[in-house]
Amino acid sequence: MRLTVFCVLMGVLVLAACATATPTPTLAPAPKIAVEGMWGRPSPKIAQAGAFYMVIRNTGAAADKLTAARSSACTTVELHESYQMSNGTMGMRPVTGGTIEIPANGQVELKVGGLHIMCIDKKVEFNNGVKLPLTLVFAKSGEINVQVEIREQGM
Amino acid sequence: MILLGAAVLLVGRWLTPHTFHGAILQSPLPAQDFSLMSHVGQRVALSDLRGKIVLLYFGYTICPDVCPTTLAELAQARKLLGRDADQVQVLMITVDPERDTIPVLADYVVHFSSTFLGLRGTPDETAQVATYYGIYYEKHDSDSALGYLVDHTATVMVIDRNGYLRLVFPFGTPAEDMASDLQYLLRK
Repeated sequence: MRLTVFCVLMGVLVLAACATATPTPTLAPAPKIAVEGMWGRPSPKIAQAGAFYMVIRNTGAAADKLTAARSSACTTVELHESYQMSNGTMGMRPVTGGTIEIPANGQVELKVGGLHIMCIDKKVEFNNGVKLPLTLVFAKSGEINVQVEIREQGM
Repeated sequence: MILLGAAVLLVGRWLTPHTFHGAILQSPLPAQDFSLMSHVGQRVALSDLRGKIVLLYFGYTICPDVCPTTLAELAQARKLLGRDADQVQVLMITVDPERDTIPVLADYVVHFSSTFLGLRGTPDETAQVATYYGIYYEKHDSDSALGYLVDHTATVMVIDRNGYLRLVFPFGTPAEDMASDLQYLLRK
């Protein structure tokens, strides 16, 4: 009898402990970032800079921001965008605000003639088939390491 | 692959009337002649190239997105022409003569094709040639480690074998479309 009461009491205690140990599920939405299709074009050794392209997907319910990037293959990495003006004129500039917004449940394509990551003062040759390390820094998701393949487009 | 591409272009030409991909100049004008220093260390005049189709592009080597994309597409378009590639000369005139010295240009253009010619004028010569072809270019300061950047018209001008300005390819015209138009101009 005593044993049974003890067991029941223990059981209740364990259940109670479990209930309090389980944290209430957080309701704050979070971004969920995936990066794919990383590539860059082979470029002449003399060319000071090379562009990296990719698709950044966010399947999370909160937006995130790409704030910076770095690579051992580049002295400096910057976030840039090419833009079209009238009469077929193109220009290029560092992205406004220095960051690229990745919308919740959305994606941003870094592509030729648009947003791109620029590798300045290349430390290695951008030859066909080479894979370069790149670290992307997001405001909420932290750092994500990817590899950028150097190849001709469309292959 | 290249042969197949050329064959497809050829068959396509026989089957349907040609539709240009580039913007056509309805009343082609004689392309204004000019002479600039080339990356091989000799001056090249546009008129020296009469008999070939000339693809004229204005760009600069520090441009990492638009310029290498266009030059790679031009190289691919030439490859698609197969044997006729010899009839097509690509010229890149730098809009950044200050930083694009002859040795820089030489290393740069040859990466895309050993047949391309890089041309560099003095600032005045460059401005003059750009005016002939309605090319806008302007330096602007930037926060980038690259220093100043140059906005520039990113179209490719097509000068036919008789020296007439015939077509303009906007930025982003695929190599296949350019090759198709060039094939037509070469056969005419």
